[in-house]
Amino acid sequence: MDSRSVIGRFFSKIKHGVPEWALSAPSVVWLLLFFLIPSLLVFAIAFRTADPSGGIDDGWTLETIKNVLRPEYVWVLWRTVWVSVAVTVICLLLSIPVGYWISRQNPKYRYWYLLIFIMPLWTNFLIRIFAWRILLNPEGFLRRALIAMGIIPSDVFLLNNIGAVIIVTVYTCLPFAILPIYAAAEKFNYSLLEAAQDLGASRFKAFYSIFLPGIRRGIITAILVVLIPSMGSYAIPDLVGGVNGEMLGNKIAIRASAYRNLPEAAALAAMLSIIITIPIIVLWLRQRRVAKTTGSALKSHVEGGLVK
Amino acid sequence: MKNTLQKTLAGAIAALAMLITGCGPSQPVLNVYSWSDYIDEGLVSDFEKQNNCKVIIDTFDSNEFMYSKLKAGAKGYDVIVPTSYMAKLMFEQKLIEPLDLSKIPNAQKIDKLYLKNLAFDKTMKYSVPYMLGYTCIAYNKGKLGKIDNSWNVFSREDLKGRMTLLDDMRETIGAGLFFTGNKINCVDPAALQKAKEQILKWKKNLAKFDNEVYKIGITSGEFLVVQGYSGDILQAISEAKDLDMMIPREGVSISCDDLVIPVTAQHKDLAYKFINFVCDPKNAARNMAFTCYFSPIPEAKKYAKGFDVDMLFPKSLYTTGQLIQDMGEKNKLFIDTWDEIKLDQK
Repeated sequence: MDSRSVIGRFFSKIKHGVPEWALSAPSVVWLLLFFLIPSLLVFAIAFRTADPSGGIDDGWTLETIKNVLRPEYVWVLWRTVWVSVAVTVICLLLSIPVGYWISRQNPKYRYWYLLIFIMPLWTNFLIRIFAWRILLNPEGFLRRALIAMGIIPSDVFLLNNIGAVIIVTVYTCLPFAILPIYAAAEKFNYSLLEAAQDLGASRFKAFYSIFLPGIRRGIITAILVVLIPSMGSYAIPDLVGGVNGEMLGNKIAIRASAYRNLPEAAALAAMLSIIITIPIIVLWLRQRRVAKTTGSALKSHVEGGLVK
Repeated sequence: MKNTLQKTLAGAIAALAMLITGCGPSQPVLNVYSWSDYIDEGLVSDFEKQNNCKVIIDTFDSNEFMYSKLKAGAKGYDVIVPTSYMAKLMFEQKLIEPLDLSKIPNAQKIDKLYLKNLAFDKTMKYSVPYMLGYTCIAYNKGKLGKIDNSWNVFSREDLKGRMTLLDDMRETIGAGLFFTGNKINCVDPAALQKAKEQILKWKKNLAKFDNEVYKIGITSGEFLVVQGYSGDILQAISEAKDLDMMIPREGVSISCDDLVIPVTAQHKDLAYKFINFVCDPKNAARNMAFTCYFSPIPEAKKYAKGFDVDMLFPKSLYTTGQLIQDMGEKNKLFIDTWDEIKLDQK
């Protein structure tokens, strides 16, 4: 018996005995206690005054907000946004073909293919970043091979620059983009593609205007799960970024530690939260429209779980 | 039926209780909060055996993170090993307590010269010095040959992308201050401006500002010149024979990490015993061999085997090295300078 149906029946059994609010209560309480209240506290601390020994004083001020809106920060902000968007676009370009390909394989082997893409997650995140440092090392095989083949000039380094930050972030985010896209592609009715081709659409046209809209929900989920974590990225720019590789996450960290200025750290964190909220709202509105127009045919439990 | 269930349950609970309390009478636990690889593991197990206790070592990688954790109310540590300027701030903030030196007889063996000339806490009122180190430069001698002992090495454009300065506000600005002829605790805005301009010139040639990967980077050949802490650099040199080090003549900072007892410590007696134990000259010698940092206990030199103690901390640094001080309100000047250095896009 399929394990999913066992779990499904278990939940449907619970559902009949317990009112719906009781089922959602634990997650609501959890989010309230560990997400909403702390976020509000962060917003509040941004308006408090700092004391030089690293504490938070009793006063209130708008200076901190003014200070973090200085033009110099626009650079860091801009870098954070464009790097995250670039990472998201590359992840999508890579994960859509992969998701399509896996979903077209023999069902017996699909999970094995999926496993191959998920396996890297079994190794610790930091260890994988350090592995990339070895791979991209200036004395390493890869750079020397690229120089020998004339692909890059000999004064180009693969490490400690913004390119390295993008490569490593794409690498860490890719499995999270493949999963929802595969989940959507698996439910896609591929006879629609054949129908489109029978009606005269080219293969590309069929892929573009039938398949992509068909897995729209998967794509939206993938965008969210890649874009949001990369905006808050801290360890990757710290470890593989160069002198001008810092992102907003690094600026927040140094304020909470060496600068002993929690209000400024809070103000930057609040700014980051606001920036992240914008794409969420846009995509959420879009997704509602998608849900309305495509109806229940494309609804998938896996996806639903990931969006939350 | 019900009876069987109760019996099974009671049995399970009893088994669980035995598992938890487990191995006979429970041992006291000493919680130490320190830097990674900063004590010889053999010493720790010796201390555990002598005192029939268990030592748990938790590590931090920056004074500031440790401080903000404590300030936020972290409890449960019995001994902490902050750098001197941080120990001073922690004492002022009443996070650590005055020491009863009668419980640390070995504290008498600490170098009087160090206490008189350099230490902030000259009477060991709240801290006992543990290890001394300094900031210096390691370089790849195999590739570069012998290089001049000056901070100016960071101006070399031929090494562009292969050098790192520390990602540390005070140490890195300090290097700029030294090179432009000032002292490390200088808070004159004009001097800081000059230091900033100097560092911005160096920045163009750097791979990155880094505290974490420079040690692996210099050993693996990724970096050719790095600014770093003496213990790390001496360890790296002992691992890779291509490497050498130099102490820039314009000046270097020195730092000392101290043993302190937080006010919230729960095993104070054990904490005193531990501090006394690591200050024993024989143990200090073992620690020096393990960490490559320098113990301010002169007698330890007698027990040092297989390495030259003066290599770990050249005598001249007692007079020329400068300790970083916490500047209180004036810290703002360093913060602004550092921000400008980091945000500069040229």
